[in-house]
Amino acid sequence: MRAVGRVSAYQWQLLAMLAPYLLGLLALVGVPALLAAPIAFTRFDALSPPVPVGLDNFAEMLADPQFRSGLGESLLLVAVAVPLRVGGALALALLLQARQRGFTLLRGLAYLPTILPDVAYALVWLYLLNPLYGPLSSLSQIFAGGEHEGTLPGTTPGVWLSNPQAAQVAVMLMLLFTVGEGFVLLLATLQEIPPDLYEAAALDGAAGDQQVRYITIPLLAPSLLLLTLRDTIFSFQASFVAAVIVTRGGPHYATTYLPYWIYQNATEFSRFGYAAAMTWVLYAITAVIIVLLFRLARRWREVQYVG
Amino acid sequence: MLDDVIQELPAELAPGLPRGWERVWWPPLHYALAVLVGGLFVVPLAWMASTSLRPAGIPAAGGFEWLPPVLSLANYPRIFSALPLGRYLGNSILVVAVAVPLTLLTGSLAGFALAQLPARLRNGLVGVSVAALLVPAMALWITRFLVYKAIGILDTPLALIAPAIMGTSPLYVLIFAWAFARVPRDLYEQARLDGAGAWRIWWTIALPLVRPAITAVAILATVAYWSDFISPLLYLNNQAYYTLPVGIQALQQMNRTNWPVLMAGAVVLTAPVLGLFLVAQRFFFRLGR
Repeated sequence: MRAVGRVSAYQWQLLAMLAPYLLGLLALVGVPALLAAPIAFTRFDALSPPVPVGLDNFAEMLADPQFRSGLGESLLLVAVAVPLRVGGALALALLLQARQRGFTLLRGLAYLPTILPDVAYALVWLYLLNPLYGPLSSLSQIFAGGEHEGTLPGTTPGVWLSNPQAAQVAVMLMLLFTVGEGFVLLLATLQEIPPDLYEAAALDGAAGDQQVRYITIPLLAPSLLLLTLRDTIFSFQASFVAAVIVTRGGPHYATTYLPYWIYQNATEFSRFGYAAAMTWVLYAITAVIIVLLFRLARRWREVQYVG
Repeated sequence: MLDDVIQELPAELAPGLPRGWERVWWPPLHYALAVLVGGLFVVPLAWMASTSLRPAGIPAAGGFEWLPPVLSLANYPRIFSALPLGRYLGNSILVVAVAVPLTLLTGSLAGFALAQLPARLRNGLVGVSVAALLVPAMALWITRFLVYKAIGILDTPLALIAPAIMGTSPLYVLIFAWAFARVPRDLYEQARLDGAGAWRIWWTIALPLVRPAITAVAILATVAYWSDFISPLLYLNNQAYYTLPVGIQALQQMNRTNWPVLMAGAVVLTAPVLGLFLVAQRFFFRLGR
């Protein structure tokens, strides 16, 4: 018998197996996450030692129009794209969950855009939207009947990427096709709903849409919550690749989302201190979103029990 | 009248189906809608492939065009002559060839240990892993740059491979831990009574029983390293180490409007991932039971 509190040889071996993971976690996640805190109070170009500047970086942030617009554009993107992505994934899962001929293939097809490497996906959109040959630039003409100019307020056909609002819409559009992971998650959750629930509801005279509303959605809620959380973080990041390749942050900084502005400050202007200060904002936003969603989840659960 | 007949049908015959007229028009509409939506998701890919076959010098389509009037493969050799994309391709293959096996090694070791540690320690470590998953990747970019610089791997291929030391993502470690936790504990206990250490149990007993998890993590990690655009963008300066994704981006900066060539580049970048997906798709999209 081993003495309580002593670590057996076997457990030492287990800890040794865990060592690379813990070491990597510390070096690649822990230290970088914590490092943002002290660096935010310095002026640092990564060549000479950091110079303490107190709260200067934060003061600059408040006065920086690019920071403010970048933050606003990021929040707008998330506010529009995330509900559409989660709703889209849900609609896809409900539409394609049937066990009919050909549906296995259709489910695979719906996942296709998600597997594309970021760069390939961004290039395809750059091509689709380009003013001279882009199939989508002609699409806007078709929608307008070929006579009127543009389908979006203030745009002309084929100027997707030279009009600020159109460029923002284009980035949102890009985000709508890569919902494969959420789709698969919801598909798996849908499979776990016991069929007798639907049978009982049907006996009680609940129509299809009522069944979706009173059985499917409530039982999917935890997955939907998880997905919303993940998609929020994902959308921030996807906006970066879109900004680097498709819109280059423009036109007129309309798609200089916060991550892109942080990236530019660090890599192009070597302003690591300022970039670290803005990273704090990123952490804060993520924390607020997580807390909000869990609060929402708790309240929703209480309502469920009361009702 | 038909509506009435349908209403009369006992619900057991078609549980969960909409009642009344819906039952007549919904199935074909459902099918049509599903095919239409499925097709919509293929369109970007189809356009990418068909445009890559468009020969240089023929006038622009100026509208919808599913296939160019003349097909040509000439754009494919062209991307390799414009830039040392062959070299970048080799670098990409090298990164995947080193990082994926390393990920399987470190990820499965950590998952195995996690599944067997005492409950309190395990729960703590699972909590840490989930927390690490929630940290947005872009919040780590800038400071990871400084860490890489401090340990001297900035601007080397090691900067691309480094995450493999931690199983690439806490998610992969958790996938392994869940798989190992489903193996009956008696199997481990029996081997321990026979005098086997943790390393031997991991290699001879546990690993062969979690093949699906190994396959899943191998596929996910391959796609992640093959497609990784952000690491080389942030951590590499020396073009000799470029991988294919940054190489294709460089190609785009050189030929801003030569769409057939750019789409050929996108096809080359996509093809291996697509191949893996086709192999794995039965595994992922067939419904259980």
